[in-house]
Formats: sequence, C-alpha cells, structure tokens
Amino acid sequence: MVDILPLVYLSYMFISIYMLTLFLIIYFRNKHRFFTNPQLTKHYSVSFITPAYNEQDTIKETIEHVFAIDYDNIEELIIINDNSSDNTKQIVESLLSKYPKLRIINNDENLGKAGGLNKAWPLTKSELVAVVDADSFPKEDSLKKMVGFFDNPKVGAVTCPVLVRNKNTFWAKLQHIEYIAISFGRKLLEYVDAIYVTPGPLALYRKSALIDIKGFDENNMTEDIEATWHLAYNNWDRKMSLDTGVSSQVPTKLKPWFIQRRRWNIGGLQCITKYWHAIGKKGMLGTFIIPFFILNMFLGLVGLSIFFYLIGTRLISNYLSVKYSIIANTPFITSEQFIITPSILNYLGVILFAAGLIYLLLILSILGERIKTKENILNLPFYLIFYLILYPFIMINAIWNFYRKKYIWR
Amino acid sequence: MTSQKSAFWQAFIVTIIIFGIGVFFGVVLENWRTNQISDLYQQSELELLDIKLQSEIYTLGEFDCDQAVQENIKFADKIFQEAKILDKYEGASRLTTNLRIQHKKYDLLRTNLLLNSIKIKEKCTNDYQEVVYFYQYNEPTFETKAKQNVFSKILSELKEQKGYEILLIPIAGDNDISAVNLLTDEYEIEQLPTIMINREHKITNILTVDQLSTYLQ
Repeated sequence: MVDILPLVYLSYMFISIYMLTLFLIIYFRNKHRFFTNPQLTKHYSVSFITPAYNEQDTIKETIEHVFAIDYDNIEELIIINDNSSDNTKQIVESLLSKYPKLRIINNDENLGKAGGLNKAWPLTKSELVAVVDADSFPKEDSLKKMVGFFDNPKVGAVTCPVLVRNKNTFWAKLQHIEYIAISFGRKLLEYVDAIYVTPGPLALYRKSALIDIKGFDENNMTEDIEATWHLAYNNWDRKMSLDTGVSSQVPTKLKPWFIQRRRWNIGGLQCITKYWHAIGKKGMLGTFIIPFFILNMFLGLVGLSIFFYLIGTRLISNYLSVKYSIIANTPFITSEQFIITPSILNYLGVILFAAGLIYLLLILSILGERIKTKENILNLPFYLIFYLILYPFIMINAIWNFYRKKYIWR
Repeated sequence: MTSQKSAFWQAFIVTIIIFGIGVFFGVVLENWRTNQISDLYQQSELELLDIKLQSEIYTLGEFDCDQAVQENIKFADKIFQEAKILDKYEGASRLTTNLRIQHKKYDLLRTNLLLNSIKIKEKCTNDYQEVVYFYQYNEPTFETKAKQNVFSKILSELKEQKGYEILLIPIAGDNDISAVNLLTDEYEIEQLPTIMINREHKITNILTVDQLSTYLQ
C-alpha cells in the first residue's frame, strides 16, 4: 500500500491538472462570446410547470417571479400540488384570480417530483416547457436570454446559472461559491457538448424533445440529470445562458445539505446504471459525461479509502508509540519530530492548491463577484480544503443507500 | 464543435508537459539530496580511513588509547547526526530510490566503525561503552515502528546523559549486507530491534533510560 501511494497521489495530481488545463483552454478559446446569447428572433410560447410539495413558504414568491418575467409569450404557469399537507394549495388558489394564466393541479396522492412533472407537461399548450422549482425565482430577463437558443432545431434544453438566494449563513455562502464554480464549468462544457444537467430551479425544454424522451424518469432521484442524459442520448443539444439566472433556496445546515447531496449522488448512480451501455458511444454522453461521472466516483472512493488508511495507521502508530513511551518514561514527542522535510509531492500539492485557488478567483472575477472581501478571504480556502473533502463521504453514503435501494428524497 | 473538442487533446499535451516538469523538478530535488548525503558520506569515509590508519600507525609504537577512543566516539557521533539527515531525506523520497544505496553504504561504514572499536577495545582498557542498535529497515510493522521510535528516543537520551562515555552505533539489521548478517549471526541477534551493549547484553524489550544504564559497566 505504502509504495503505491505516491503513484496514486501523482495520478490525482495529473487528473487535477488535466481538468484545470482543459477548462482554461476552453475558456480562453471562447471568452469573447462567454456571455453572449442568440438574438431573440422568434417569441416561442412558453408554459411553466412547478411541482410543489409543502412549499407554503416560497410558492407565492415563485409565482410572482414567474409572472414578472419580461417575455410576451408566457402561456401559463401550472402548479402541481403534490398532495401537500401544508397551505400550499390555499396560497396558490388565492392567487388564481390575480394571475389568469395560473393553474393548479391537485394530486390526490404524492407522485414525487418527476411524477408531478409528467402529469403536467403533456397538458401544456406551448412550444417550450419551463420547469421551475417551487423555491426558485427566475430573473426577469431569463426567457429573453434563453429562448433564442431554440432557433437551432437541434437544441433540446437550455439552462442558466443557479444562484444562492439565502446567503445568510456560512454554509450557504460556501454553496454560493460552489454554485458559481458549477455555473462557470457548465458553460464551458456547453462548448464541447457535455452539459450533463439542466437543473430543476430553471430548465427550458423543447416540448418535442420532451415527447422524444418520453418525459421524466419517475424512478430516478434526480429527474433533471436523467432528462439531460436522455436528451444527450437522443442527440439533442443542451445549451446554457450565463448572462441570466435563477435564485434558489439552499440548505443552510449540514444535515439537510448532506441529504440533498446524497440524493444527487444516488440520482447520478441511477443514471450511470441506466446508461452504462452507452459508454464509448452516443457522442459526448458515452465518451465524456459517463466516464467523467465514473472517474469522479472512483477517485472519491479511492481518496476516501486512502484517507481512512492514513488516519487509521496514524492512530495505531500513535497509540503504540504513546504506550511504549509511557513504559520507557520518555516524552511522547520530541522537538525533532516537528521538523518536517517536505517531499516533492508536498511541493506539488501546494502548487496545485494555489492553482485551484487562482482558478476559483478567476471564476469569481469573471462572473463579477467581489473577491477582496473579508468573507471570501476566509471562505475560499475553507471551501477548497474542507467543503470539497466532504464530497467522498456523501458519495459513500449514497452508494450504500443505492445498494440497499433506499431512495430517500428528504 | 469538432475544433472545440480538440481542447481535450491539447489539455492532455499541456498536462503532460506541466506534469513532466513537476516530476523532473522532483527528481532533481531528490538527486540533490542524494548528492548531499553522498558528499557527507565521502567525507566520513575518508575520516574513517584516517582513524583506522592512525590506529595502525599507533601499533608501530606506543598505542595512544585515549586518542583512538576519542576519535572513534567523535566519528560515531558525527555519522549518527548524518544518519538523521539521511533518515529525513529518505522519508521525503518519493520518486527515486538512490538514497537506499546511501543507507547501505552508511550501514557498511558503521559496521566498519564497530570493528575498529572492537579492535581498540582489545588493545585498550578504556572504559567507554559500546552500544550497538540493530533496527529493522525494511517494512517494519506498526508495532516494530513504534518500538523503534521509542528505542531511538531512549538511546538519544542515554547518549545525552553519558556523552563521550558511549559509542553509539545504529545499524540496519535487515539491509541485505553480508557483513552485517555475519555480525548479527555472530552475536546471535535474533530479532529486530535489539540494543546490544558491550557485545554482552541484548535488550529487546522497552526499558527506561535508567534501566538501560544498569547494563553499562
């Protein structure tokens, strides 16, 4: 184990440098058109659908935001009340008179998000279907910026950046950094036809594309990832407008955050299983997206195993060392043991960390974030060192639940 | 889109170049450390040769035991310090294995020093103590590692307390060196680590410094 560790570290470094380089090359090639969108030539009709389960705190604001969108061809907004036990239904019904294009479908039983969407989208009368989560608030210019992409008949779905609305806790601020990095990465992936998710807060689908993929997979925990993979499988392009956005509520505490991420991971695993046969085929889905997901999972698991191995061996060594030191009546640790001679891997690790930090700063600066705030000086290193390290732990939990077929939404 | 996808190959080539530069600097760094150890070794080798020749010259006339013993102990202390540097560099060596050879060379040097000490002891009555520490170099278990860690600490403490009264020689007992193997067979060293005091007492259990001192004459 010990002898292969340097090789494993070097492999991680190689992959990290590769991804960093790949993203930078794509960015510098396309930076002149990074924020540009196709001209709005045709005003496609758009139907919004919003699944809602116990969303009394946010549903009103979501409805208001949808109808505040600056676009002249919004056909309707359908709220699918998924058998909520709170006041979601009453709140929506109280707004029906104010918004004539608002409709509500009340499910007698809870169908889940994908089930609700599948009940609603076939009822829509428009050319485009916009899915909006019940705790998400699209920007006024979102449709004007996104709709133009559909002039290309190959485009099946368009997404936009998801922004954190409730940036009032430390945990939410870290997610804000993460969401910005994800948005940047997703835009870059657009240029190589590798967008792997059109997230639920706001995704615009061509209705004929939804018909082609037969809607959303009700067995999948992340219907948005599955739908995007299905679109890629059926050769539909996915695009992203970086110039607008949708703000969304994020978990502010560790536990709900963990549960949300576990669900995303389980959904990812379901997608890998479902599209396993497409590896090496079906364009970028089989040659990049699926291998990227698998590699990501593999690296996370190997990394976690090494982490536990190192922690475990260190604990055993320290325990034995302390035990013998007590017998020998010598100090547990001497000043000499504090003097560390760094190896080349330590130096490369520091350089890589610095490169990651610079890359993150570059992203924040490109996307107009204020970097030199006291908050960011603390948050950015914390995000890189501690926040991202939690991912493999979520992954292992997700794999365990996936193996037991325990698909928990909340 | 096709031209965009060339980014994958370009990134791969750039990564190989960056990674290659990193590995190259790694090898340069480790070779520089090896050269440092090698320089120290060459110096020490010369010094040992000098000490041995001095002993030979003394045998032609009146043998100056004090001088010979002092030279031997000083030299042992010097290479003990060098061994610490070697250990640190070896611990930080990830890409090359050149330092393993340096370690072997140091083990031979220390064996040579022990033999010289045995010779001097035969001729002199000086009451300095000979402490040889045979340790495990290759893949020690956690148990052995922890034990060796504590042995190192108590031997360092003992050396601090006794100073020039002790000739302390650590030797790797499993480094595939025939001379060391002969030595461990000769003194019936059956397990590693073992502290051998004056070629009489063999200690394999953890002791306090005071308990260890009782074995000294």
